[in-house]
Amino acid sequence: MRQDKVLALSKTSLEDALEIAKKGTHCGMCRFDFLDTGLCPSGNKYGFLAYWPQGRMQIFKNLRLDKVKPTEKLIEITDSCSLCGICDKQCNFATQLRPEKVAKALKDFTKSLDKNDFQKTPEDENLKGLRNIIGDKWATNDPIIISSYISSIISPEAGLNFYIVMPKDAEELSKVIKFANTNNLPFLPRSGGTLLSMAAPTVLSKAFGLEQGIVIDLLRMKKLEIDSNTHTATVGAGITAFDLQKEAHKHNLRANVAEAGAHICSNIASTGILSTWGNKYGWSADNFIDLETVDDTGKISRHSDLEIKNPYTTEYGFTNISLTPPAIVTQATVRLNPVFDDEEAVFVPFENIKDALNLSFKIAKRGIGFSNVILSRKYLAEFISPTPRIAEDFEFILEKYMKLNYVVDIICNKDEKKIIESMVDYTIDKTTLKSLILGCPKLATLKDSEFMKILSEEKDPLKAIFAGPMKKHFEKALDATPENISKIYDKDLQEFFKKVYSKPKMTDIVWLHEHRIFPSRLMRQRMFLPMGGVIWTAYEKNLFDWIKMFEEVGEKHKLIHALGFISPFDQGRFAVLEYDFYYDHNDSDAKNRVDKAIIESQEKSLEIDGILSALNFYFKGLYRKEHILFPIAKAISKEDQELFRELLKNIIGDG
Amino acid sequence: MVKFLSEEWLEQCKKYMHEKLDPEKDLKNVTTSLLGVVEHIPPDDSTMNFYLNIDNGNLIDFIVSSGSTYEKEATFVITGSYGTFRSILKGELNMTIALLKNRLKLKGNKIKALRLMKPLDGVIASLREVTDEFEE
Repeated sequence: MRQDKVLALSKTSLEDALEIAKKGTHCGMCRFDFLDTGLCPSGNKYGFLAYWPQGRMQIFKNLRLDKVKPTEKLIEITDSCSLCGICDKQCNFATQLRPEKVAKALKDFTKSLDKNDFQKTPEDENLKGLRNIIGDKWATNDPIIISSYISSIISPEAGLNFYIVMPKDAEELSKVIKFANTNNLPFLPRSGGTLLSMAAPTVLSKAFGLEQGIVIDLLRMKKLEIDSNTHTATVGAGITAFDLQKEAHKHNLRANVAEAGAHICSNIASTGILSTWGNKYGWSADNFIDLETVDDTGKISRHSDLEIKNPYTTEYGFTNISLTPPAIVTQATVRLNPVFDDEEAVFVPFENIKDALNLSFKIAKRGIGFSNVILSRKYLAEFISPTPRIAEDFEFILEKYMKLNYVVDIICNKDEKKIIESMVDYTIDKTTLKSLILGCPKLATLKDSEFMKILSEEKDPLKAIFAGPMKKHFEKALDATPENISKIYDKDLQEFFKKVYSKPKMTDIVWLHEHRIFPSRLMRQRMFLPMGGVIWTAYEKNLFDWIKMFEEVGEKHKLIHALGFISPFDQGRFAVLEYDFYYDHNDSDAKNRVDKAIIESQEKSLEIDGILSALNFYFKGLYRKEHILFPIAKAISKEDQELFRELLKNIIGDG
Repeated sequence: MVKFLSEEWLEQCKKYMHEKLDPEKDLKNVTTSLLGVVEHIPPDDSTMNFYLNIDNGNLIDFIVSSGSTYEKEATFVITGSYGTFRSILKGELNMTIALLKNRLKLKGNKIKALRLMKPLDGVIASLREVTDEFEE
């Protein structure tokens, strides 16, 4: 390496770039076109994660931290980036980061290297075999490319003894799996990688990641066909939730999807598509008509095949933990649902959780609405706010002055809206919601204002601000315009974001619920670990105990922690709860604390009646929800607690 | 050098378990039988099995044979690839994770099998001590 050249690079730019790269969390928002910017041309052409902005950030970090040595591939990877700036726009919307600075630093760094120092990676017999199956371009053992998958499927401690393959269809995948088995190579599929990236910094890393072998990147399976007659869509494993929703929308249809970057097929297999629309559209096997899967022997099956083992059932009980999907879903035919002209969002603010639950569950049991969720103030603030700082101030205002801790958030038709409005004193109307989205930077500045102090002295601040005399003044004070919100962005991006926020969909609550582009903001610049699971609503009292338990565990381990959401399912028969622990994934002390919180809260969840914790429904999405949930789980015995503790210790260590 | 599944391996394992494992302390006086089926054995992709019978913490039978079945019925059957068993015996992968990752397939009651993991730790540790050569 020519040290003089490296030193000649601006030290600041390298350090800045490393800081940006470290903050990356593999949210995957740079791999689909959610802001109408087009896609990263390099990633779109070459496929492997290394060629996408998130992969470049990971590579830069690995190189600077000496986790990998440069190879010649680095030249192709850096040359393929034209510094077009698409990634900066996408990433800035979601995380406030500037990945292009990292791409530029990586280019400069690569140029400064002496080619003689490049590590050679000869083709071995395994790679030769894999290339015979899927072609030279789509299988690699290049350490630089492999390293781009660290922290999103490869554990940071696992080393680089891997192959990465990108099969184009089920047939190629089947051959890859058969080859892997014959050659005793473990394998694991990767789609969006978000679930794996959330686990990667924690004790769950070894449990969910791959220690060596073949990473099967499914991104090339891009089939997407809508059948507007049967209201179905057929999607390949490379299709994201956003891709499908965007296409379905053109036909006035809507899919039940997870967050925007999640891939439909893998999300079906992992958590069964948990969304706020679940009460109406269902969960797990409710979501699909048919699946094409490849099992761990390489056998290709369809759920519609006549002679297959019942694919919808799973064993019951607390030991029923799966750390991998039962099969790789390569294609799914999913249900689509009609979109109606008169759909609207109804937001009902609450100070306490009990009142919010009462309304949400009552609405769910009556079968009202398409989407039904209780959002915590934390989620509301994080989703709406374009920067972490604004989110912090926004949340402070919601809690301290407005006494808005929860919002029951319903998407329904016009008639249902009237029913809900008749059940409550007041709601947050469409105009105010729009003002909150565009005016949140201004709202954050009102943190110490006289206006907020006066508001907090009101008997019912929520009523005063959303349905009382202060509503008009509040909306005026927010000065909510696309131009104003764009001012919080870096100067060179302001014009772009002004246009983005001028689009009606960016303040259309129904569109935002469908396309789910906001949830990635939960992992902007720092990581979060979602805990929780399913609770039967007949055990509502236990729900409060469950939340309290998470609060106590979060406090004990000095973590930022908060309830995320509670969403009813199956006509309010059960509800899904998410409680999150937030932490800096670059801070080893914080990681240790979150590890302890994971183990402790996981154990304590099983001591409460009526709960199925998240660890027990991961990778159960292919089954019928009835087989996953029935009968109602009871608190486990002392003896079983011992066994579970032992099981956890085996899976994730002592924390 | 003792190669996994060889005659010598079998003898060494038996000797080690008889000499070093305490029925009560290490094997918790467990009574069970286990058939381990090892698939995809290099170089010819063959299958072999090992049958373990433990009574009250004492090793009664330990037999290696070819194919995926053995003449005696076992309480538990675990099936996995040679690579998975290799990783377990090298200490790179623990049996519980291998089960939950579906790398080992289990026939038999899962709760009972998981309860056995602790007593079986001693057996696995013995095999690990003895085994130092694998087909690559």
